[in-house]
This record gives sequence, C-alpha cells and structure tokens, in this order.
Amino acid sequence: MYCSGDQLIIKIIAVDSIQNGEFNISHETAKEDFSLLIQALDASISGIILTDNRLPDNPIIYCNKAFEEMTGYQRNEIIGHNCRFLQKEDRGQPERATLRAAIREGKKCIVDIRNYRKDGTLFYNELYMSPIKGENGQVNYFIGVQNDVTRRKKAELDLRHQQEIMERQVLERTQSLKESEDYLSSIVQTVRESLIVLDPEFKVLSVNEHFLKTFKVTTEDTIGKLLYDLGNGQWNISALKELLENILPTNNPVEEFEVEHDFPHIGKKLMVLNAHRIELEGHYKDRILIAIEDITDRREIERRKDDFLSIASHELKTPLTTIKGLVQMMQRMVPAELSDKFKSILNKTGLYVDRLNNLIAELLDVSRIQTGNIELHKDVFDFDKAVQEAVETIQSATKSHEIQISGNTGEQVSADESHIVQVINNLLSNAIKYAPYHKEIIVYLSRVSNFVKFSVKDQGMGIKQEDHKKIFDRFYRVGDIQQRFPGMGIGLYICDQIIKNHGGTLWVESEPGQGSTFSFTLPLNKQPA
Amino acid sequence: MENKTILICDDDEGILDMLEIVLEGNGYKTVPVQNSLNLYEMIEREHPDLLLLDLWMPVLSGDQVLKSLRKNPQTQELPVIVISASRDGKQIASAAGATDFMSKPFDLEFLLDKIRQYLN
Repeated sequence: MYCSGDQLIIKIIAVDSIQNGEFNISHETAKEDFSLLIQALDASISGIILTDNRLPDNPIIYCNKAFEEMTGYQRNEIIGHNCRFLQKEDRGQPERATLRAAIREGKKCIVDIRNYRKDGTLFYNELYMSPIKGENGQVNYFIGVQNDVTRRKKAELDLRHQQEIMERQVLERTQSLKESEDYLSSIVQTVRESLIVLDPEFKVLSVNEHFLKTFKVTTEDTIGKLLYDLGNGQWNISALKELLENILPTNNPVEEFEVEHDFPHIGKKLMVLNAHRIELEGHYKDRILIAIEDITDRREIERRKDDFLSIASHELKTPLTTIKGLVQMMQRMVPAELSDKFKSILNKTGLYVDRLNNLIAELLDVSRIQTGNIELHKDVFDFDKAVQEAVETIQSATKSHEIQISGNTGEQVSADESHIVQVINNLLSNAIKYAPYHKEIIVYLSRVSNFVKFSVKDQGMGIKQEDHKKIFDRFYRVGDIQQRFPGMGIGLYICDQIIKNHGGTLWVESEPGQGSTFSFTLPLNKQPA
Repeated sequence: MENKTILICDDDEGILDMLEIVLEGNGYKTVPVQNSLNLYEMIEREHPDLLLLDLWMPVLSGDQVLKSLRKNPQTQELPVIVISASRDGKQIASAAGATDFMSKPFDLEFLLDKIRQYLN
C-alpha cells in the first residue's frame, strides 16, 4: 500500500458487480482504480494533502508529488505533521484564523497564505480546504489543494506598491501645490502694493490685504462685486474704465498708467496702475490683474523736495552774487603797487566763487532730472548767434586759451536756449579745464541733414575708449582725473540729459594724448531735403 | 554818463550794497530800493535812466511791478534789466516786458556792458 489513505478508499469500494440494482466494485477493480487515482493525483500540478481530523492535531496523512515539489520536503518529512509547519516562524498571518474557524466548523474555505519551502524561501500558497464528512456528518478528513501563486501575488503586491507610491506622490504633489499656493499667497499678501484680480467681466475675484487697508474696505463688500460698484460706486472712475475697456484689450499689458481720483472717504489719491490680462490658455485666461501703487505721498514729497531745492538754490545764489560782485570790484580796483600775492589771492577767491556757483546750479539740475522735472522752454533762436555769445562769454573769462569758431549752421532752432547754452558752456569749460597746456580750442558748426551739429575740439589729454560712454554717467569721474581736476562728475550727465530731452545726441571722439572732440546734434523741425 | 541814475530794486541787502559799490565805482548814481512797494514812489521822485529789478520779492514780486510799469506811459520805455537767481527767471522776465535779463550770479563786466548798452 502506498499510503494510509488507501484504507479509506477500500472501505468505500467493496464488490465490483451489480446486485439488486446496486453497483458494486470488485477488489481488483478497486485496486486498479486506486493506483490510477494515485497516478492522477501525482500528475496534478496542484499540491494535494489529506489530513485526519479525528487524530490529535489534525495530521497530514497523504500528500501528492506536486506537494513535495512545491514545498521541497520529502514525504517522510510531511506525513504526520500538522500543516502549520509550512509557515515556519511566520505565525501571525490573519488567514490562520480563517483556517481554524473553517476546521472548527467543518466548512470549506480558501485562503492565500505565506508558506516557506524547506530551504526557507517564501511562496504564496492559495489553499483550498474542504472537509470530508462521514455518514453522521462528522468531519473525518480535510482535503487541501494548494497552488503556488507567488507570481500572481507578487504582481498583486507590485501593483499595490505602485499604487501606494502613486498615492503618496499625488499626496506629495497636492501638498506641494498647496504649499506653493500658500507661499504665493503670502507673497501677494505681504506686497506693499494693492493687488486686484478681476474676471473678464470686471468682477473682483480677489484682493490682497494692502488693498483692503489702503481703500478701507472689507473682503465681504469687495469679492464678487463689479469693480466699478465697489464702495458705493467710489470706483466708478472714468480713467479706470478707459484703461480696462479701451486700452487693455489692445495694449496688454499696460504699465505705469496714472489715475487721479478723489475718493469720498479716503480723499484724493494719485495712483499708478499696472494692468495685465492673462493670455495663457486655460483656467485663468482673460483674468485681469491690477497692481495699484499709491504715489500720492511720494508725489507730494517730490514736489516739496523740488520746492526746497529751488528755494535753497535761490537763497544760496543771492549772497553768492554779492560776493562775486564785490570780488570782481576789488579786482578792478586793485592799486598797481599791490603785491602779486595779494592779486593772486583775490583771483583765486573769484575762481572759487564761480566754482561754488556751478556746484549749486548742477545740484539743482541733477535733482530736477532725477525727478523728471527738466522743463524745456522752447523758443526759436539763432543757433550760430547763441554759440557765438557763449564762446565770447567764456573767452572773456579766460586768458589761457583761444577759442575759434569754424563754419556755421545758418539755422534757427526751436529749443530751450538757456539749456543749450548751458551745454555749450559746459563743453567749452571742459575743453579748457582738461587741456591746460594747449591753448587752441576749435568750435565747429555745421548743418547735417535736418540737424545742426556743434563740436568742440581740444588738444588735451584725451579719453580712453572704455570711458567714452561712462563719462556721461552721473557722478562718474575718470580714475586719475579726480586728484588733478576737482568736480562732481555731473556736468556731462546733465548735458547728455538736456540734449536727449531735445531729441538730439551727445558723444565724444577721443584717444588718449590726442585731444577730445565733443559733439552734439539738435533736430531742426523740418524734413531732410 | 556821470549823471545817469540807476534804480536798484532787490529785497536782499547784500545785493543792494554790492551793486551800489560797483555802480558808484563806475560813475553812476544809484538809488537802492529794498521794499518793492516803495518802487513807484522812488521812480516818481528820482526819474531813473535804468532799473535793475529782482524777481523774487515779498509782497510785490518783480514781474508784477514790471507789468504795471509797462502799463504806465511814463515808465513804458524805461530800460529794465531783470536780475534773478531763478531758473525760469528769463521766461518770466520776458513775459512781463523786461528789456533784458541777467541771471544771478553775474559777471561784472557783463553787467556793465549791458548797462552801457542801454544808457548810451
């Protein structure tokens, strides 16, 4: 006999004949069938075992070949053991409770349970367990059919693992999205400028804290309202309407749009607006972002600063005029017998009075240019005559240099004469100042297309190529010049700004040691011939 | 030329002092007027040949004075040189009817040249 299971089958099969309509199987047939069954069981790829429920601890009484192969154990290591030896130390699996309950209640069940081969490797066992009951319904045996489902289980586990990873990533992304949203929102809230977001119909979608504070409104009476309706129509501003309805649709984005409005509750405000319509396809398309800078106070401060500077300049110039006049008078009255030293002191005093005057004038000019308040009082004047007068004035004050005028423009120009004369004076003074050992200075005048051109050429030290642009910067002084020639470095900056404001250009051509030629052009108000 | 009278109207005492010294030194007779409100009266009394006029003065500014002088037939032709430290002084002066303009501070020779130009 192959195994103890044969007794069971022998009991069922008695005689192989038909008697009284009943089918009986003979012992021989039974033997044949039995061996066939054993072969069939061994041919199965499922592991099959039988356990005897009537014996203590429900031991295994039969196992087929597949079970041996599946577990790596030999038959002699299997028979007599309870199935749990396959779980080794892995005893905490919840499936065991299912199995125990099924055994207790004599029911069939199916579980996936982790089992271990003899060599310790894990495999997933899909165990189908079914009771075999006796005549009285008592459970005598259990049959267990096992399939190695490790690959399926692994795929399932991998899938679940992937799912978990994905879920975690989604969670992380959501978190990081929320974080970046919070981050952006905290930036928006911290900005000291009012920000409004409008939908395409100009309804307010959101505003930041600064907006609420500046315009003394609450979120409730802002969000969802039409912009023009805010604060009982306080925002019904025609300039704003013009911006949103006529300018923005064709000039997106709009920057530095000034709006002045008298708000009933908070008073007159001067605002600078930047408006941007979102053109990006998607959820936010056509939303309108408006940033509002309240420049009411800044303008007022600028105005006061300007007033202050002009008063200061005026007040400083008045006593300076007295000093200058008196010094010049002294110079004229110097008696012949007076020492040269005394004369020289007197002359120096006059020189420094002039320098002080220039500094005051330049400072005022710079502050005006900085605040964009360089006012042009354009008048038509004879350009050649203005140049000639300026040259004569400068010439009368210098004995060290000779200024010659060459050529003429023959043109009347429309420009701010005092500004242009200031530029000419500055360029001539520089020519004298930076060419102390060469007495010849030449002024060239010409008409070029629809421009007049003024050039002044000196024989001085010249300027390095890399400084040709920088010398027009504010407070720029060419390195070693600082020690030898005092000055603030704003003269050329002012000249450049003045010429630019007139629509012309100012430039220099120079090489070290070869002298410099400063030129500027001014447009004539007529088309080129 | 010795008898030419120049009236100087400026609220700043220093300027008045200096111009007096300079002009007297060059042979002119000068009449200083510190308060522009007294100017009309002084013109009536002194019959100046030329007026040097400041712009920024309290109560009655130079351009206001000048405008009313130009309306008066007696002073319509009076040479008036406006002297100012204001940047836009030249525009204001010419709009008010000044004969000439000089910005403060000025060159003595330049001033004397101008004065000679209008007195000869």
